[in-house]
Amino acid sequence: MGILTVLWEKWVEFRRDFYKITASALVTPVMYLIIFGLGIQTTSHGEPYLHFLIPGVVAMATMTGSFSAIAQNMSVQRLYEKALDQVMVSPTPLWQFITGQVIGGSLRGMYAGCMILLLTFPIRTDLIFNGMSFFIMFLNGTVFSTIALVLSFLAKSYTDAPRYTSFIIMPMSFLCNTFFSTDQMPAGFRQVVSCLPLSQSCEMIRNIANGMSPGWKGFLILGIYLVVFGMISMGFIYKKKNL
Amino acid sequence: MIELRNLTKNFGSFTAVDHLDLIIGTGEFFGLLGPNGAGKTTTISMMSTVLLPSEGEIFIDGKKLDRKAAEVKRKLSVITQEYSMRQDMTMDEVMQYQGKLYYLPRKVIKEKSEELLEFAGLIDFRKRTVRHLSGGMKRKLMICRALMVEPEILLLDEPTAGMDALSRRQMWNLLRQVNTQKRTIILTTHYMEEAQTLCDRVALLNRGKLQKLDTPEALIREQGEFAVDEITENGVSTRYFHNREDAIRYLENTGPQASFRATTLEDVFVECAGRKLG
Repeated sequence: MGILTVLWEKWVEFRRDFYKITASALVTPVMYLIIFGLGIQTTSHGEPYLHFLIPGVVAMATMTGSFSAIAQNMSVQRLYEKALDQVMVSPTPLWQFITGQVIGGSLRGMYAGCMILLLTFPIRTDLIFNGMSFFIMFLNGTVFSTIALVLSFLAKSYTDAPRYTSFIIMPMSFLCNTFFSTDQMPAGFRQVVSCLPLSQSCEMIRNIANGMSPGWKGFLILGIYLVVFGMISMGFIYKKKNL
Repeated sequence: MIELRNLTKNFGSFTAVDHLDLIIGTGEFFGLLGPNGAGKTTTISMMSTVLLPSEGEIFIDGKKLDRKAAEVKRKLSVITQEYSMRQDMTMDEVMQYQGKLYYLPRKVIKEKSEELLEFAGLIDFRKRTVRHLSGGMKRKLMICRALMVEPEILLLDEPTAGMDALSRRQMWNLLRQVNTQKRTIILTTHYMEEAQTLCDRVALLNRGKLQKLDTPEALIREQGEFAVDEITENGVSTRYFHNREDAIRYLENTGPQASFRATTLEDVFVECAGRKLG
């Protein structure tokens, strides 16, 4: 029930800011697609580069959509509006509040990813996006929503949210298998980057798009991130002395 | 019944609330008074679980209050000092959100929203977003939101701060009505007249410690019910007397710059807080 309340709140926000949310979800990924996919036309492994790029941009849009939906919103609610106080004093179990935030954030991420798919639909690529691709997009969204929750509980001021985007989301966008394969990275650094959630999401979505199996390793890594950051965010909301 | 046992809150080396013990009876209108930084808001924040105590515990009807205690929290509603609500929601949405957080049925949410917004004179603005409301309207909306869930315990942190005199009186009448329904109200305020008019008992806090606890009448009696203000070279000084004759006799022996009046709770507060602040 509490989860539905949070999803209702997210829906109210989405309905009100529909155009702003849609535009901001599309601008950056569309720019990447235009510049790297259409502007600088090249090939990767004998295939048009766009075939490599689209799955990566879909995963990236899912990540940024989920992360920004939660990080900014929660930081403002906690530090500026103090609207979190209303939730804290209510009988709604806080685990349901957290779960609602994670699902809501992930749905926002999926919306951004689906918009990219819709935009690239007219481009004939033969890429496959099936139920499993959407499940991976959802899982990717839940991971970045929980990371956003943890960071928003750590934030000291509401201007911290854009900083997190600069220091965490931006490097991941470029490094994690989105624009080029992690195989091209130096050893050591490659292993570290491969363990980041976006690298795994990109690889799994790309594998499915090329008619291959997504493999189990990515699910395991995303699952570990989800559990670890989920537990930390639960710990914060139940145990943090000064929320 | 609300019981604060050894309640303490530290922020680093600063102790905001210092081993506070209080028992507040069911249906009581209780005032938490004190100068800025006395620990009033911190106490209310611990009672609403936004802050967790460094030491001590809070019990409501014998059950420990913490963030997991949904059954206990169902009895509480809070009006914070700040406008703690989503600024981008409309009034209707704020009320709906509150109702949903307390598991009220949709029909009840709709009925109660209309009833309370009508009562507060906000019904015509129900589609307006919070961001576009005046301070007074936001304050009224917070009260509507808190009352919507018919709480057994209402925590009010300076609910009339920034209100004009008329709105404040309206608020007092509303709070009196709420209190007649056997609801416990805990109020923090800087307006001593407000506390004296509304509260059954008041606690005077200073630097996180409980200084005095009694009914406003008893505190005034203890101070001396009659006051004589004298204008001296150092400003106005006040002397308090337990009987009228002593006060009048003193007045007669002072110059024409002296005046006689009844002692108020503000005098008790000023004496207590002023002495401690030194």
